[in-house]
Amino acid sequence: MANKTSNAPLLGETFVVGLWRENPVFRLLLGMCPTLAVTAAVKPAFTMGLCVIFVLLCSNIIVSLMRNLLKPHLRILMFTLTISTFVTIADLFLRAFQPRMSEILGPYVPLIIVNCIIICRAEACASKNPLLVSIIDALGMGAGFTLTLCVLAAIREILSTGAIWEITILPAGFVPWAAMRMPVGAFITLGLLLGLVNLATKRKA
Amino acid sequence: MDTLNILLMGFISIVLINNLVFTKFLGICPYLGVSGRIDMAFGMGMAVTFVVTLSGTLTWLIDHLILIGTPLEVTRYVCFILVIAGAVQLVEMYVRKFFPSLYESFGIFLPLITTNCAILGLCLFINLWEIDNLLEAVVLSFGAGIGFTMAICIMAGIRENLNLADVPECLKGAPITLITAGLLTLAFMGFAGMIR
Amino acid sequence: MSNIKHFFHQSWLLIISSFCFGLLIAVTNAAWSPRIQQNEKDKLNNLMTGLITEARNFEITIEGVEVPGKKGKITKTDIYQALDDSGSSAGFAFVAIGAGFADKIKLVIAVDAKCEKFLGFKVLSSNETPGFGDRIKEDYFGNQFKKAPAGGLQLVKTGDPETIDSEIVAISGATVSSEAVVKIFNAYIDKVKQQLPEKELKTNGQ
Repeated sequence: MANKTSNAPLLGETFVVGLWRENPVFRLLLGMCPTLAVTAAVKPAFTMGLCVIFVLLCSNIIVSLMRNLLKPHLRILMFTLTISTFVTIADLFLRAFQPRMSEILGPYVPLIIVNCIIICRAEACASKNPLLVSIIDALGMGAGFTLTLCVLAAIREILSTGAIWEITILPAGFVPWAAMRMPVGAFITLGLLLGLVNLATKRKA
Repeated sequence: MDTLNILLMGFISIVLINNLVFTKFLGICPYLGVSGRIDMAFGMGMAVTFVVTLSGTLTWLIDHLILIGTPLEVTRYVCFILVIAGAVQLVEMYVRKFFPSLYESFGIFLPLITTNCAILGLCLFINLWEIDNLLEAVVLSFGAGIGFTMAICIMAGIRENLNLADVPECLKGAPITLITAGLLTLAFMGFAGMIR
Repeated sequence: MSNIKHFFHQSWLLIISSFCFGLLIAVTNAAWSPRIQQNEKDKLNNLMTGLITEARNFEITIEGVEVPGKKGKITKTDIYQALDDSGSSAGFAFVAIGAGFADKIKLVIAVDAKCEKFLGFKVLSSNETPGFGDRIKEDYFGNQFKKAPAGGLQLVKTGDPETIDSEIVAISGATVSSEAVVKIFNAYIDKVKQQLPEKELKTNGQ
């Protein structure tokens, strides 16, 4: 009993850490490639975020279950194998049930395999911690990643089409900034957001 | 002559017009991390070119000789990443044994390259674009590496100068690099439509 | 012998998990692949139904029509015949590919049953500049092709987009993309017209 109560705050903290303090994109600077590529609109960004949560969760679970059996020099190979299996499953799922999203996301779904976030969490957390902690860590990191993607996508989508999630928000007189849909907009928006986050965290500290 | 033309156009297209970093968002992580100095950037670029040419060719071969048209096609991603990881491992062992000075200059980059999105990304793009002859695949892979090297060296040159400029505190490091990359992308957009 | 033993001792986990993962992928694929194939078919069908509204059914009439492209490259396309409620021909549709400003443009083009007028087009995939070349997807451009004569389309820079004739008014700021679409139309319609006469006579004669 005492064990459980002392574990609970630790679990909650692990979740929140993934959301903000060690937010994978803003603080750890991991997983940049999909961040820039799929955030042209909120729907694809959210779908990508959900896929990453799925893969992260499954891979963390499997790695955590196997953590005592892993041989040191084969472990990266094991991680890669696990991750690519679940990414294949996620890709098949998208192609079967969300074909439009699958087309928009295109080759960036399989690129989740080399998304540094997943391998880093497997290495740093799942291979050293019991099952429950790994699960919460995966959920926290995944949620942080999804949140970041959606924020970035919301900014880009509003400015480039005046809508969020394809629901028009801004009045008809708004002239869309086409640049936001192109790579330029992606880079500059992310850079400015990062600067803002740095500013916010510096003020707190 | 026609083949040479197609190859040349393909090469130019992937270096300038469809540059992997600026238009396809691949290879951003090392791009941000390593572009601090020109010599490091060039080393990284060369290492990437080396590996990506090898991987592109190997994955194309495996794709066309084994995977396409068979039920094994669904394991494509697993096969690709294992081939890439294996290729990087082999390259590292080979370079360490036979070219130790080269190994010194590549440093820690080689193992890092396995998780470089550019390599897997290129292999997947070659599959997506349905490139159907080997020579074209080789040229495209090589071009992708050269494009990456060029992008990273340009960025390194700019960053070396940026260090001396008066950048606001919160923008130092990754943010200003991203903004610079954005402006570079804008510049490279001028190349679009060069080839018809 | 001890070498093999050592090998197994080190890698048994790898071998077993490869097997399990392979099984997992195979099962998932087997479960979902009919859906995936259905999705691919539906996509094309939905686009073609949008173009030829009376159509209830599409069937492939001619497969593998060869259309020469630039530098001697030959692309193959299938011609679909649209059948309406009574089973008679409501038109034909085919996928057409050509070079655009930035990358290849893929269109679905529909012509009427007699192959005399275009019924319109939809963009399957394109990578044109957003805000400029991307506007080939808009009605302003697309509507000019509806009921336009099948063959010999010409791109003009100024003119009346409302008049339906063989002159297509380009999108301002996107001449290359507009030209690309017109070129694709012209390139494919000649070949399609060549291939269709025999089939046409058959269905109309019934």
